[in-house]
Amino acid sequence: MNQAFDADADPAMAKWRRQAAAERVRCGVDNQVWMTPEGIPVKPVYTAADLDGIAHLESLPGQPPFTRGTTATMYSTRPWTIRQYAGFSTAEESNAFYRDCLAAGQTGLSIAFDLATHRGYDSDHPRVEGDVGKAGVAIDSVEDMNLLFDQIPLDRMSVSMTMNGAVLPVMAMFIVAAQEQGVDQSALSGTLQNDILKEFMVRNTYIYPPRPSMRIVSDIIAYSAGHMPRFNPMSISGYHMQEAGATVVQELAYTLADGIEYVRAALSHGLQVDQFAPRLSFFFATGMNFFMEIAKLRAARTLWADLMDEHFSPENPDSLRLRTHCQTSGVSLTSLDPYNNIVRTTIEALAAVLGGTQSLHTNSFDEALALPTEQSARIARNTQLILSHETGIRNVVDPLAGSYYVESLTGSLIREARVLIDEIEEAGGMTAAIEAGLPKLRIEEASVLRQARVDQEQEVIVGVNRYPLERETPVDIRILDNHAIRKAQVGRLERVRKSRDKRAVTRSLDALAEVAASGSGNLLESAVAAARARATVGEISDALASVFQRYRAEPGVLGGVYGRAYEGREEFRVIQERVMAFARSEGRRPRILVVKLGQDGHDRGARTIATAFADMGFDVDIGPLFQTPEEAVSQAIENDVHILGISSQVAGHRTLVPAVMAGLKERGSDDIKVVCGGVIPQDDYAYLYARGVSAIFGPGTSVPEAALQILDILESDRVQEHA
Amino acid sequence: MSRDQASVRMVDVARLESGCRKTLAKALTLVESTRPDHREEAERLLGAVEKNPDHSIRIGLTGVPGVGKSTLIDVFGGHIINQGHRLAVLAVDPTSSLSGGSILGDKTRMPGLAVNPHAFIRPTPAGESLGGVARRTRDAIVLCEAAGYDVIIVETVGIGQSEALVSNMTDLFMLMLLPGAGDTLQGIKRGVMELADMVVISKADGAMQACARLSAAEISHAIRLIQPRHEDWIPPVLMVSATEQSGIERLWQLVCRFRKQVRRDGRLSEVRCRQAWEWMWTETRQQLLDHLKADEAVRRRMDSLKSRVLSGDLSPSAAASMLVAQFRKQADGPCPGDS
Repeated sequence: MNQAFDADADPAMAKWRRQAAAERVRCGVDNQVWMTPEGIPVKPVYTAADLDGIAHLESLPGQPPFTRGTTATMYSTRPWTIRQYAGFSTAEESNAFYRDCLAAGQTGLSIAFDLATHRGYDSDHPRVEGDVGKAGVAIDSVEDMNLLFDQIPLDRMSVSMTMNGAVLPVMAMFIVAAQEQGVDQSALSGTLQNDILKEFMVRNTYIYPPRPSMRIVSDIIAYSAGHMPRFNPMSISGYHMQEAGATVVQELAYTLADGIEYVRAALSHGLQVDQFAPRLSFFFATGMNFFMEIAKLRAARTLWADLMDEHFSPENPDSLRLRTHCQTSGVSLTSLDPYNNIVRTTIEALAAVLGGTQSLHTNSFDEALALPTEQSARIARNTQLILSHETGIRNVVDPLAGSYYVESLTGSLIREARVLIDEIEEAGGMTAAIEAGLPKLRIEEASVLRQARVDQEQEVIVGVNRYPLERETPVDIRILDNHAIRKAQVGRLERVRKSRDKRAVTRSLDALAEVAASGSGNLLESAVAAARARATVGEISDALASVFQRYRAEPGVLGGVYGRAYEGREEFRVIQERVMAFARSEGRRPRILVVKLGQDGHDRGARTIATAFADMGFDVDIGPLFQTPEEAVSQAIENDVHILGISSQVAGHRTLVPAVMAGLKERGSDDIKVVCGGVIPQDDYAYLYARGVSAIFGPGTSVPEAALQILDILESDRVQEHA
Repeated sequence: MSRDQASVRMVDVARLESGCRKTLAKALTLVESTRPDHREEAERLLGAVEKNPDHSIRIGLTGVPGVGKSTLIDVFGGHIINQGHRLAVLAVDPTSSLSGGSILGDKTRMPGLAVNPHAFIRPTPAGESLGGVARRTRDAIVLCEAAGYDVIIVETVGIGQSEALVSNMTDLFMLMLLPGAGDTLQGIKRGVMELADMVVISKADGAMQACARLSAAEISHAIRLIQPRHEDWIPPVLMVSATEQSGIERLWQLVCRFRKQVRRDGRLSEVRCRQAWEWMWTETRQQLLDHLKADEAVRRRMDSLKSRVLSGDLSPSAAASMLVAQFRKQADGPCPGDS
């Protein structure tokens, strides 16, 4: 109110207003305020008046509330860590890749694990047939971990591990591998993601229910506070929220609210705040909304310092300091015209650096198609090396401080995120809010709205919904031989099982289950003993599951959001009419089952499709997460659907889709049409069509487009049967 | 020939009765269909299947969204199957979205039963009318029984008229309540309480246990003031926890006791006969209404009456009489149901 009044009173401002109005009339533009997806109005010009009431302006880098940076000198004394996230199916292959990367200028490791490991299954478990070696390295026992870090000095190399579900066995095996390399755990540095709360919100790679999962988290914090002073026991992650469609405000607010919840969990464990808070670290996504992303990191540091101070009054200022890793946005990558992704990643990397990140991963341009090749990984790494060494950007700390726009955005984000954080606090903290399903629904709503904006071209994506290529040039991508990987992994697992002391394994697993059941003792300590005895990831996870149970989510799906965004649009009406015509002539609406197969929990795409299709008038069945092909086939037959839609994000389709096709055929139900969507390389299209898939929808297919194509398939099917 | 017509021919009664899941699925699609020729086929099929429902128990289950119906069915159903039964789960969902499309996530919420070979779950889309939903659910019960399922659970969201419908097609009607519901007992529709043969307090675990016990006591007291549906059966109130799997065995024991008690002296078949008779009237009402709404002259008359009713010039009841008179004039000939 105040600032508007000041600006009105300023004669120079009044003159600007008249000028701007004239220019808008001349150019035929009537929108003067850009409303961002988070609902923050962005004006065409910012002035000193916009800085009124912003508290953090006078702060300096390295001092609370750390708006301007975590240290006084930032990159001028210590560049950000170039930390590329990677994992290639087997421990040997990943090890060779890491060593090449380190030789080529990478400064830290970031391990990606395969889906089976994430979910606590050994490679020979029947449920993970299509998942072994997918999206990362398969780890079954400490022997795999030894191979993974062969000739990599763990006392000198900081290692980040993206692990949340099977944190106990994986962390335990890391500690044991280091010890067997001759490195004491106190010398280990790096970060464990260990952020289970966001798994329940978006990524779904949990194993146990929320409350026992929180116990695991706090046991790990306690263990590392006691034994691993240089190790970050958790990386509180907003990344996956933004990837799942959250707005920047949601990402910011829910991540910090998660952080508060973890601090409370550790305190209830008997720790003092200053014993562990300095070692908490964060992880954010950097998307294409350039200035918003810069402001987000500044806002995150400011808010965290304020929240920590308010709630826990630590004595050590390091407990107020938010240190973060950033990764460029995976969803901003497109499979169409994929070289554009190099440019997108560069811009996002620049935003992360201007925002003051401590470490950074830049995506490879082909990641919307498949896992990166050596060539694409090199370009991604070089993007950071060029920013670091060729631009001079490192010499000045927080160069955008004082920008009217950036400071005002920083202030708006702090304010808006506070509102959401307060909402979570009122719900009784994050664990309670998650149990009630609140944040998941909020994020899903934002995600569906974004899909509608893209489908309607309100958001432009070059090469996808605007300026598309007439012909896509094929890109060389990496293809995995899933069967061979699994066979090799299972072979090693069998050798480990044969050569170990079986009684020692049983004893250690019983002891672990006892610690889980009694609620006293430290779970990680017991897991380390089990890992040393050569218990496997699956065995350790099962021992815990015997007490904690495996968690099964009960996701509700919200309806109406997509449809409302389309209210009154011609293309939408046309689809609804065709659906109704189908229903009249068939006696029921077209019915589609949307499934995810295997251990891939990225269900944003599937859920968006489900709600959008229901809004268009389809009857939509949803399969449970982590289904096997046989289970999906049964559900399709028993619910008697017309269409089975398979959403695939992590390369499971080459194994799992053929299994579905075979299953339908075997049961005489190949009249059910199969369509696929998600991240499927162009090269695999022919392979899938040859196995009878009716349609494939890559990223960038708009939902109405997919619906029309499905209606075509259904209608031509009917014509054929009439003939 | 269209796809669904082809499937009509595929509903082989012998295969259905042998328990073929795919045949049952197709048969259920047939009774769900709104096409008149499918309806005729459905009637023929329903006439042809062997009706031997005496060995079955039909359980209705209602409760507000979030009370934990699906979670309970998943755990309770697993227990029932372990006792050697075969279980079918049907859902009556009277809500319909703006577009008429439905999101059917029931199997997601019952992951255990979804993969159990002795369970059959069929989520059914919302219909245009509650009567339509009820009709196909009744038909579905008969088909599931014919396919060898001897425990049928019909689940419904506790809103609107659906509880009465479901209680009218089942032998035993269960009401699920959250702990703490006793505090607001007056908020629970008395009518629903009167329908209940059993009240289940869900989520009786952890911090909620004390609260659940209090609710159970309050509801037990309140229920004694209500005339029971069966004179020698006072509806029991019990606490369950799906997460701790407590109360599940007791729940099944109570179901068995109820079944034994009401089956004495052939009372169960008496109840079912009465339900069939009431259902005939429900169907008659529904069919009359369908014919009335489909009548061109009635529709024209309706349009002309609408503005007068809205403006208050004509009372609703007078307008209704005029519509019915119009319909009777039209129908003055062979009765539409006689063909």
